[in-house]
Amino acid sequence: MKLEELRKIRERAEAELRLRGGPSRVKIVVGMGTSGIAAGARATLRAIVDEVARRDLRDVTVTQTGEKGLAAQEPIVEVHEPDRITIYGEVDEATARRIVAEHVINGRPLAERVVEVREVKG
Amino acid sequence: MIGDLAMHVADLVENSLRAGATEITVRLAREGEDLRLEVEDNGAGIPPEDFARVTDPFFSTKKGAGIGLGLPLLVQTAEETGGSFRVEPRPGGGIRVTARLGSRHPDLPPLGDLVGTLVPLIATSPGVEFTVELSDDRTAWTLSTREVRERLGEVPLTHPDVLVFLERALADGLREVGFEEER
Repeated sequence: MKLEELRKIRERAEAELRLRGGPSRVKIVVGMGTSGIAAGARATLRAIVDEVARRDLRDVTVTQTGEKGLAAQEPIVEVHEPDRITIYGEVDEATARRIVAEHVINGRPLAERVVEVREVKG
Repeated sequence: MIGDLAMHVADLVENSLRAGATEITVRLAREGEDLRLEVEDNGAGIPPEDFARVTDPFFSTKKGAGIGLGLPLLVQTAEETGGSFRVEPRPGGGIRVTARLGSRHPDLPPLGDLVGTLVPLIATSPGVEFTVELSDDRTAWTLSTREVRERLGEVPLTHPDVLVFLERALADGLREVGFEEER
C-alpha cells in the first residue's frame, strides 16, 4: 500500500475544502439493515459509491445506517442537504444512480421515489 | 446456494456492523490445501446460550430481524468443499467466525468481486476501523483503515480519490497473494 499517496490526496482535499469554504455539501445515507439488504441495498450502496468516485464528487459523503423503520419501502436512501433531508424509497441500483445525477448534481429530486421531505431548521 | 466468496464476506461484515463493532478484521488466507476465510469483530458478541444456534437458518440474535441466512450459507459452502466452520467468542468481546474451505475443491465458489463488495462497506462506515489481511504460504498483505485515516486527517474515505486508492490497494493486495478477483 502506497501510504505516501494518501498524503497527496490529503493535501489536495484540504485545498478543495478551503476553496469551498466548508465541509460536505451533501451527505447520502443508505439504510443497510437486514430488510434493506434483503431488498437489494448492497447494490444500491455500491452504485452510489461508484457514482461518487466516477463523477468525482468531492463535496459529497456517503454513509450507511441500520434499520430505518420503513421496511416496506426498502432500500431507503436519504439525501441530507443544509436545509432539508429527502428520503427516497425502493431505491434500486438504477434509481440510486439517477438520484446522484439528478438530485445531488442537478438539484432536482426524483419526485416519484420521494417518501418524505424533512425541512431542517437552521 | 451462494454466488461467490465475496458475498460471504459481505454477510459476515454486515453482521459485525449490525452488532455495533468498531473494529473489524477480515482475513483471507491460502494455507496449503485450505482457504481460510475469517472475520473477527469487537461487537456485541453472542450470548453463550445462543452459540449452538447461530447456524440455524431461522435463528437471529437480533430481535425482529427475520431469518439469518448468512452463517448457514457459509456453513454449507464449508461442508460442500470438505472444510469446516467455527464461531467462537473473541477475547475481549465480540466474535470470530472462521470457515476453512477446500481451496482446490470443484465446488469452491469463485472469489467474486471482493474489491467492489468490500470497499463500499469500509468507506461508508465512519466509526469503524477495518483491517484486511490477505496471505498465502509465502506472502502477507495488510490494509488498515486506521493507518489510512491517520494520513487523511478529516478527509472522508468516500472522497473520490480515497475510493480509487482503496480499490487499487485492495486489488493490488489480492494480486500479490495470488487471488483472482472478478469485477
